Amino acid sequence: MTTPATPKPLLVIKDLSVSLEGARRSTKVAPVPVLRSVNLAVEPGTWTAIVGPNGAGKTTLLRACANLLGRRDNISGTIALMGVPLGSWAAKDLAVMMAWLGTADAFSDGDLSALTAWDVVALGRLPHQRWWPALAPLTPADEGVIQAVMMQTHTWQLRAKPLMQMSSGERQRVHIARALAVKAKMVLMDEPLLNLDPPHQAEWIQLVRSMAASGQAVVSVLHELNAALYADKVVVLVGGRITCSGAVSDEKTRAAITDAFSNRIEIRQLDGHWVALPRL
Amino acid sequence: MKTTSAAALLFFASVMVCLIGLLVGGGNFQWPWVAGQDAVTATIIGEIRAPRSVGAWAAGSLLGLAGAVAQGIFRNPLADPYLLGSSSGAALAVALCLSAAGWLGADVAGAAFWGGLLAVGLSGAAFAGALLAVLLTVALAGGVAQGTRLLLGGVVVGVVLGALTSFLVFLAPNVLLNMQGFMLGSTALLNWSAVLRMTAIGAVCVLIAMSLAKPLDALQLGERTARSLGVPLGRINMAFIVLLAIVTGTAVAHTGLIAFVGLAAPHVVRAWLPCQHRALLLLSSLTGGLLLLTADVIARWIFAPVELPVGLLTALIGGGYLLWRMRRVGL
Amino acid sequence: MQGRLQWLVGLAMSLVLGASQAATISLRGDDGVLLTLDKPATRVVTLLPSLAEVVCDLGACQRLVGVDRYTNWPPQTAAVPVVGGGLDPQLEAIFRVKPDLIVMAPSSRVIARLRDLGLPVLALEPKRMADLKRTYSVIGQALGIATADQQFQALQNGLKGVRAAVVKEWLGKRVYFEVSDELYAAAPDSFVGETLTALGFENAIENGFGPFPKVNPEWVLRAQPDALIVAEGTQKGLASRPGWSGMRAVRAGRVCAMSQTEADALVRPGPRLIAGARWLVNCINEMPPPAGSE
Repeated sequence: MTTPATPKPLLVIKDLSVSLEGARRSTKVAPVPVLRSVNLAVEPGTWTAIVGPNGAGKTTLLRACANLLGRRDNISGTIALMGVPLGSWAAKDLAVMMAWLGTADAFSDGDLSALTAWDVVALGRLPHQRWWPALAPLTPADEGVIQAVMMQTHTWQLRAKPLMQMSSGERQRVHIARALAVKAKMVLMDEPLLNLDPPHQAEWIQLVRSMAASGQAVVSVLHELNAALYADKVVVLVGGRITCSGAVSDEKTRAAITDAFSNRIEIRQLDGHWVALPRL
Repeated sequence: MKTTSAAALLFFASVMVCLIGLLVGGGNFQWPWVAGQDAVTATIIGEIRAPRSVGAWAAGSLLGLAGAVAQGIFRNPLADPYLLGSSSGAALAVALCLSAAGWLGADVAGAAFWGGLLAVGLSGAAFAGALLAVLLTVALAGGVAQGTRLLLGGVVVGVVLGALTSFLVFLAPNVLLNMQGFMLGSTALLNWSAVLRMTAIGAVCVLIAMSLAKPLDALQLGERTARSLGVPLGRINMAFIVLLAIVTGTAVAHTGLIAFVGLAAPHVVRAWLPCQHRALLLLSSLTGGLLLLTADVIARWIFAPVELPVGLLTALIGGGYLLWRMRRVGL
Repeated sequence: MQGRLQWLVGLAMSLVLGASQAATISLRGDDGVLLTLDKPATRVVTLLPSLAEVVCDLGACQRLVGVDRYTNWPPQTAAVPVVGGGLDPQLEAIFRVKPDLIVMAPSSRVIARLRDLGLPVLALEPKRMADLKRTYSVIGQALGIATADQQFQALQNGLKGVRAAVVKEWLGKRVYFEVSDELYAAAPDSFVGETLTALGFENAIENGFGPFPKVNPEWVLRAQPDALIVAEGTQKGLASRPGWSGMRAVRAGRVCAMSQTEADALVRPGPRLIAGARWLVNCINEMPPPAGSE
């Protein structure tokens, strides 16, 4: 039986080291590196979950993938998207290729925003709109996409509601819908399950799996290990280094995960699924 | 309510208040058509009250637009048009001009050269000062990319330029009254050419701002998310900051410092009709116009023939409405 | 014949022109702008108290049709309509009184607007004695009052007369004149400073810091002026100023307290300077002069 040819990776990270400008403790001391010599490849049609203890550098890694690090942060190593270094991509082209859902940016303080759910999701179509987008209205195709993703995230019924009147869970789902509306080849999500209750968490997992099945690449940073264990590939990040990356079915990966959390968890199999339980 | 109906309503209300403004003034209440026979009253209505009322509306709409832009790019509900130091820049420029004129025009003959220049020059100086102060703020913040650095830079520039102005006044105390007179928020001295300038600049700036409204909406989702959507943050911020400087500078150059209009107008619109920036920028502008116009008319009317300072009225009207609104919503 | 006719026409024309030229009045204000009046002004609006006082001193008080809210002398001005302040005049009110001359301090924005409306504006702000002389002259021209210069000369002479009344021992003594409670003193460079000098006193403050510098109270203490001239309200607080109870003038009670009227008369460059000077000299004459050794 021949193994199917592995698809060419979408995103290739080689020897990435990042130290953040804000992380310097003083100008005399060298800044503390947040990521050290990270190597990672993301193939299309896969769902990669990045896990690790707090402060491991997961968000920084995700931001590096999305080319969203600060201009003053020190970055060494290469990140190439479809063979082209990230820095060489034009902003507009990159926006069509990659969709981003962040945490710190996630709207917590809705007071200022009178945007409705529909407006927010519609912003996801911005990368596809021509310049001076205010003059270019949404095409019927755009509207179709917006409706479809809103139905997928069960936010269609909220479409006329302003963000400030929504619960945090509803808002989170609207933001997820916005990220989906970009219809990007790669979707990067940082803590997407924040504020979501179990039914919606389950829906998210199903959604991501179907996205991977249809050829999109999804990379998510997750604290919820049980959700992360559904991913195609798990990347374990500890102290800025990748200790292991592979399928959950691989014993090595599971050992690395347990190790990363100081052996305070156990990974067991239950009805064919892997679950992580706290070790008391 | 749709944007177009809201805009039409605001415009209609402004026209009504403007008409009332033509009737209100030095105490003699005369219907305009009767007054046509009296040359003095005709001049008063046509050359004093009319440009003043329309001018108040134009200045208010500039400030309303500036306030909405400021609150949009800084994502801060307390932002007002002057937060990048434009007001301190204008005051310093006016003080510099006055002291230079005073110093150079020490004799009457010297003053002749400056006399003509001063009339147009002070407004021009105020405008230039406002723009330069904003430029200084941007330079201090190291570029337009980061909102917090800009805000901080604006505070620093405002304080430093204010101190320089105080020092200048200390050196040449005769400058103080004249400068304060210039900077004191007042719609009393607006003429038709001022109205024309403000309206032209306002119209152009509103259109430009509205065409950049979508990126401003995207910015509300956070700087990183906006970048990920392909919004050229640097260029958008730069465009809006330049717009803010021009609009605020124009308003300050013609009416001095009128507080609260820029701060309150966007909130009034949001409280009444939550909307995206494309509508918000236009409606905020119209609301600002209506607010300052109403304040001006009341300032002239309530204790006629004595006039109240218009800034007092804008604070009372704008602040009062927001207070009432907050209580109703139960904040 | 032809030549003589031309000559006659020429003569007639130049006479007519000459006559009309004689009638127009050219005035140059402090802002350097030239204002031309066809005939002497009969409806005058003043937006500075000292200017109203000068107009009235020239005997033209009845020509005032509008004054600013700070004008408070002479009593006739109380009957004149108030048209706002120097920096915030009420345009409508001014327009309504149909002035043919507005005299005010140079305030560029206001003046520009008034001229815009077609109103004749003359910018004058007397700050020193020389300015006052010019003010009298220009306003005299504007009102067609030929005796204006003599009127000013009378002021100068009056001042000399007041000086003659100063007790000999007080001549040359140092005085400290305070214009405001926050220690703003009058330097020799100011109008009242010039008056003090003309009366034969020495000013405790030196020139070089503007007409009304804010002084360090310690400096005044060290200067030990022979007499203090302060506002009524300030007089009581003098001893409580740090260190001032040790000042010889304070201990000996050589303090002249001015009421608002007296302060206006002395500080405001205008015709009341004689009355103010007389009050001051009376006050000083009543005080025992400092002994030579002090």
